[in-house]
Amino acid sequence: MATRRVTLRLGDRDHAIDVLEDGPTEAEVVVDGESVRLARDGSLWRSEGDVRGPAWAIADGARRWVYHDGCVYELELQEDGRRRPAAAQGSLAAPMPATVRQIRVAAGDRVHRGDTLLILEAMKMELPVRAEADGTVNAVHCREGELVQPGRPLIDIGPADGA
Amino acid sequence: MTIRRVLIANRGEIAVRIVRACRDAGLESIAVYSDADRHAVHVRAADRALRIGPPAPADSYLSIDALLEAAARSGADAVHPGYGFLSERAEFARACEQAGLVFVGPPADVIEQMGSKIAARALMQKAGVPVVPGQTPADQSDDGLLAAARAVGYPVLIKASAGGGGKGMRVVQSDQEARELVPAARRESAAAFGDGTLYVERVIARPRHVEIQVFADTHGHVVHLFERECSIQRRHQKVIEESPSPALTPALRARMGDAAVAAARASGYRNAGTIEFLVEGRGDDARFYFLEMNTRLQVEHPVTEAVTGVDLVQAQLLVAAGAPLPWTQASLSTRGHAIECRIYAEDPGHGFLPQAGPLLLYREPSGPGIRVDAGVEEGSTVDVHYDPMLAKLVVSAETRPAAIARLRAALRRYPVLGIRTNIPFLLRLIDLPEFAAGDLHTGFIDEHRGALLRSGAPSPVALAAAALAGTAARAAGVSPAAVPDPWSQTTGWGR
Repeated sequence: MATRRVTLRLGDRDHAIDVLEDGPTEAEVVVDGESVRLARDGSLWRSEGDVRGPAWAIADGARRWVYHDGCVYELELQEDGRRRPAAAQGSLAAPMPATVRQIRVAAGDRVHRGDTLLILEAMKMELPVRAEADGTVNAVHCREGELVQPGRPLIDIGPADGA
Repeated sequence: MTIRRVLIANRGEIAVRIVRACRDAGLESIAVYSDADRHAVHVRAADRALRIGPPAPADSYLSIDALLEAAARSGADAVHPGYGFLSERAEFARACEQAGLVFVGPPADVIEQMGSKIAARALMQKAGVPVVPGQTPADQSDDGLLAAARAVGYPVLIKASAGGGGKGMRVVQSDQEARELVPAARRESAAAFGDGTLYVERVIARPRHVEIQVFADTHGHVVHLFERECSIQRRHQKVIEESPSPALTPALRARMGDAAVAAARASGYRNAGTIEFLVEGRGDDARFYFLEMNTRLQVEHPVTEAVTGVDLVQAQLLVAAGAPLPWTQASLSTRGHAIECRIYAEDPGHGFLPQAGPLLLYREPSGPGIRVDAGVEEGSTVDVHYDPMLAKLVVSAETRPAAIARLRAALRRYPVLGIRTNIPFLLRLIDLPEFAAGDLHTGFIDEHRGALLRSGAPSPVALAAAALAGTAARAAGVSPAAVPDPWSQTTGWGR
C-alpha cells in the first residue's frame, strides 16, 4: 500500500502523519519518525503495550476529535496545503448558541480593548463579549432578545478614528 | 394515601433517576418534555411522556399550568419535582396540593420559609444553629444593597434570596464592585428564579462547604444521613462531592448531624432535604455556620446512597405516600468512601464556556463501584436552553485513596467527543497532591487554576488515531462484526 500523508493542525502547529497501512482491523502509521501500530475496533484504537489505555477518535467533517490518556484534542485536517481563512478581522462572533441579553454600544461608538460590548446569555449564565482592541463600532448585527448561532457576526469593529 | 402514577416535572439525568426509582417501587412514571427534548433519554426511559411546550424553560419546565395540565391528562396522583426548575417554588407545591396531587417534597409553607434567606436564618438562630453574618435589605435598590454590603463588611457575597445553585451569585470586594455587579446579579437571579431579590453575606475565609442530608416523615421521625463534602466548586457551582468529608472528626460530625436534625425539626420539615454549612478551621474545634437549606433532592444524593446503602428517591416516594421512614438514626451507618464528579458540557480551556451541540461519541465507564447517572447518550444533542450538566460519575471504594484511584481509571475510560467537557480538567484536579491530601476549600479551583488549565501535546497514539479516524466508518462497515460489541457501535454521527 502506498504511503499517504495526513496533516493535522492543533492550534498553530501542524502534525504530519504518514499512513503505511490502513486495514479494517489494523493500521500502521509513522508520527514524527516514530512507528505506531494500532488495532482498530470501530472508534476505539489500541496500541500494544500502551499502558495509557486506548484512544477514541472520530471524524466530523475536516475536524478530528480524539481522547487518549485523559486528554481531548480537536484537530483540523489540512488538505493539499490549503489553509482555512482566518476569521474576519474586527468582527466579533457568537461563541455558542446564545440569547443577546443586552447591547451596550451603537454604530459610531469608540471602544477600548476590554470594554464590554454586549452580554449574551446561555445556559442561565451571562457571557460578556469584549472588544479585542481599541476601535470604532462600524455596525451592530444583532438585536436584544435575539437567539444567535455560533460563528454569527455580532458586531464589526473598525480602526479607531484617525488610526 | 396511595401513589400509583408519578409525574416527573423535570428533565435530564434526574428525571431518569426518578424513573428508575418508580420502576423499582412498582410505580408508573410519566415524563414531560419540551420540543427540544422530544427524543431525550428521560422521555424514552419513562412509561409514558407528554409534551408540555416549546424549548424555553419558562414555557415548559417552569410552567406550572403546563405541568398541572400534563398531570391531569395523564391521571398522575403524585408529582416529583427533581432539583432546579420548580423544585423549590412554594407556589408549585401549593398548586399541586390544591389540584389533589401528592407533592414529593416538603409542605409548601416550609419551602417558602427556607427559601427566604431572612426567615431561614431567623429560624436557625432560634433553633440554636450558628449562622453567617448577613442581611437582605428591605431597600433592594442599588443604593440599598450598597449600604447593606458596607454594613456587613467587605468582602461580601451578593446572591439571590430566592434560590440556591450559585445562580446570580457574586463576590464583591468594594463599593465600586458593588455598583458594577449588583445589576447583573439581580438580572441572573430574576432569570433563574423569577425573583430578583438579593441577599448580602459576609465571606468566610477558606471555608469548606459541608452539607448534611436530612430526612423527615409525617410520623415525627427526623434523621440525618451524614455529610457530603462539596468544597470543590467553580463560581459556586459544585464540581466534586464526596462522603465522608476528609475534614470531619467524629465529634464534629456528631455536632453537625445534631444541628441539622434540630434545624429540620424546627422547620417542620418533611421528606428529603439538605442543610448546607460552611466549615471554618480544623479538628474538633472547627466552627460551622448554617448556609442554607435545600428543600429538595440534591444533585449529589448518589454519594450518600453509595456510603449508606439506601435509596433516597424510593424513600422520598414512600414518605410522600405517608409511610414512616424505612430507617432509624441507629440503623444508619456509612461504609467506605464515595466521590461524585459532575460532567459538564463546558470548555475549561476557554473560560469554561458552556458547550452545545451533538455528542458524536459518548461512552460511559462501568465496573464495580462505578455508577453513571446520565441524561444523555451517544447521538444526543446538548441544547443551549438547559443546564450544561450531562451526567454524574459516582465511584465508591473501601478508602478515599482507593476511591480516587477508581475515579481516575473511570474518567480515563469516559470518552466524550463532539463537544468539549470538563473530563480532562477533572482528571488534572484529582491528581493534585492537595486533593489527595484532602486539603479542600471553596477557593480550591481558583487557587490551582494554573495547574488545572495546563494542557500538553498529543501523544503519537492520539495523533495516529486522529489521522485514521476518517476511515473508521468505512472500516467498521466492512468488518465482519459477528459479535456485538458496545465499543464498535456505528452511530450515524460524524461521518
